[in-house]
Amino acid sequence: MAMDYEPKQTTAWITGPIALSLVVFGTLPLWIESIGLYQYLGVEVLIWVIFALGYNLLLGYTGLPSFGHGAFLGIGAYAFGLAQFEVWPNLWFCLIAAFVVTGLFGAATALFLSHRRGIYFALMTIAFGQIYYFIASKWTDVTHGEDGLLNIARLPVDLGVVELPLAGNAQLYYLCFAVYAVLVLLLWRLTNSPYGRVLRAIKQNETRVAFVGYPVGLYKWSVFTLSCGIAGIAGALFAMAQEGAYINVMSLQWSGIIVLMVLIGGGFVSFWGPVFGVILYFVARDVLGAYTETWLLWFGLMFVVLVIFKPDGLAGMWHDLMRRVQPRPAPVTASKAEG
Amino acid sequence: MLLNLIPHLINGLALGLLFALLALGFMLIIGVMEVINLAHGSLFTIGAYVALAVMAPDGGLPYAFMEPYYALPAIPRYLIALVVGPLVAGAVGMGLELCLRRTYGSDPLYGLLLTFGAALVLEELIREIWGSSEYYLPVPQQISGGFIAGNLIYSTYRIYAAVFAAGMIGVLWLFLNKTPYGAVIKAGAHDSEMVRALGYNLTRLRLLVFGFGAALAGIAGVIMAPIWGIRPVVGVDAVIPAFVIIVLGGVGSFWGAVSAGIMVGLVVALTAAFLTDWSLLSMYLLLLAVVTFRSRGLAGKSSVLEA
Repeated sequence: MAMDYEPKQTTAWITGPIALSLVVFGTLPLWIESIGLYQYLGVEVLIWVIFALGYNLLLGYTGLPSFGHGAFLGIGAYAFGLAQFEVWPNLWFCLIAAFVVTGLFGAATALFLSHRRGIYFALMTIAFGQIYYFIASKWTDVTHGEDGLLNIARLPVDLGVVELPLAGNAQLYYLCFAVYAVLVLLLWRLTNSPYGRVLRAIKQNETRVAFVGYPVGLYKWSVFTLSCGIAGIAGALFAMAQEGAYINVMSLQWSGIIVLMVLIGGGFVSFWGPVFGVILYFVARDVLGAYTETWLLWFGLMFVVLVIFKPDGLAGMWHDLMRRVQPRPAPVTASKAEG
Repeated sequence: MLLNLIPHLINGLALGLLFALLALGFMLIIGVMEVINLAHGSLFTIGAYVALAVMAPDGGLPYAFMEPYYALPAIPRYLIALVVGPLVAGAVGMGLELCLRRTYGSDPLYGLLLTFGAALVLEELIREIWGSSEYYLPVPQQISGGFIAGNLIYSTYRIYAAVFAAGMIGVLWLFLNKTPYGAVIKAGAHDSEMVRALGYNLTRLRLLVFGFGAALAGIAGVIMAPIWGIRPVVGVDAVIPAFVIIVLGGVGSFWGAVSAGIMVGLVVALTAAFLTDWSLLSMYLLLLAVVTFRSRGLAGKSSVLEA
């Protein structure tokens, strides 16, 4: 593989880009309306950013193309709704329930997937995504099928002494922002840890990593499970944003769109790729969508052109630009010889 | 009692053989290009819609201009549909192959992502041309309707579909195994670089094989259209069973795909007879049951795509 993340790793908890992203996302509700957009868009963007960052652990870092990941977003949304209706309507409990339940589904699924690679992995994830979609559409006692699980409440943030309501979109946004802030710090450390290093090695050459003695299956299993758990949290936030859990995000098309977002942003070469990709997708939806009904056609065409000519996406273009602005000696790599 | 199952078995056989036809085209493309063609379902859909345009006056073509043509009897128009549908699907497939060229040699993931994007574009294009509503493909009287034999109702079209698909699979087998072209394709699937070293034009071979695989998807679409109806997302419904069949049968195995196709078709049709709502789930359970014990499916060989 020709391209990869920066080989250099860091042990810093906070880096410039992280601080910048926290400032930009942290102040977003203050200026989003003055540039002609609306608060709910910010909520959507952050939820999908959370989902995409978790997904990129799998696609970008480990090189495992899952085409059924939307199913786990949906499972998280249903788990959040059901925990709220049936067990205990407390925000923290329901969020944790969504994380744990979706993680368990992911762990069980990963048992079938962790020893597979390439085409078998991709096709099996499609099959599992369809299984969950199918169960969600037919098990109407639990999921209410095509109608969806309605009236999921935006539970207030219970801080012991005070309760902050989340009814407004700007308020919900700040909950999403808090989740994002914690997640981005954890994921940054994780991807720069020895664990992250092994994941990147698995992407490069799984067989070789196994020969060196790492339990490749265990790594793939754990990263799949973690990625599903994060999808569950995103699903829980999504259920609150939409005030319901619906089946459409579990379809193959939505599972594919998350792949598309991550790749178009450059998830293969940058930690920040998924963030760029999600923002581009939603801005394109609103801007192109204002002009034409078939904006997805144009977005798809853009994606195709990008894969042909610039497969490392927006982040790759950014890297090229930086290289042109401040030329450095080309790093010596052996990647050519690997084939 | 068992006799009552015969119509269901025929339905399952028709379904399974059509899935197998789709899966075989997909496998040819994997073999020679090493690309997982996620747009395969869209090519199937294109076949169906083109057949609709050829068969029905309200099927998307400018009707007034074509009026003398629609005065033709149904059978010649159906035969034209059987030829034009796969031809258009094949042409679109060749176009896709041209786009794919830059991804050869890099990670197979890029080819897969490119075809996913292409599937999105094709589906939106179809929506643009034909809209989102559902159509039914009219077929000549001779193969529509049903008949009663021994108190059971048989659908003529399903029998025709099963026979047609079986015939196509037979012709495909003969083509791959008894002609020099087939030998080159099989050699290309085994080791495409070596085929180039032997002096064959690999670029042209890839273009033609992609077109051929796409045409097989197109013809499956034409035959399936009267059974399932035609809508922009019909390709997804068809291609997912095809993926299941490929994993079940094993990548690269002709008879693996055919037998897995028949198994899936029968399982789906038999569960549909008793538990209509859950018929598609049975297919996945079958997949899990087989793959748990045989990780490369019934007859799979190790493949470059696993690396």
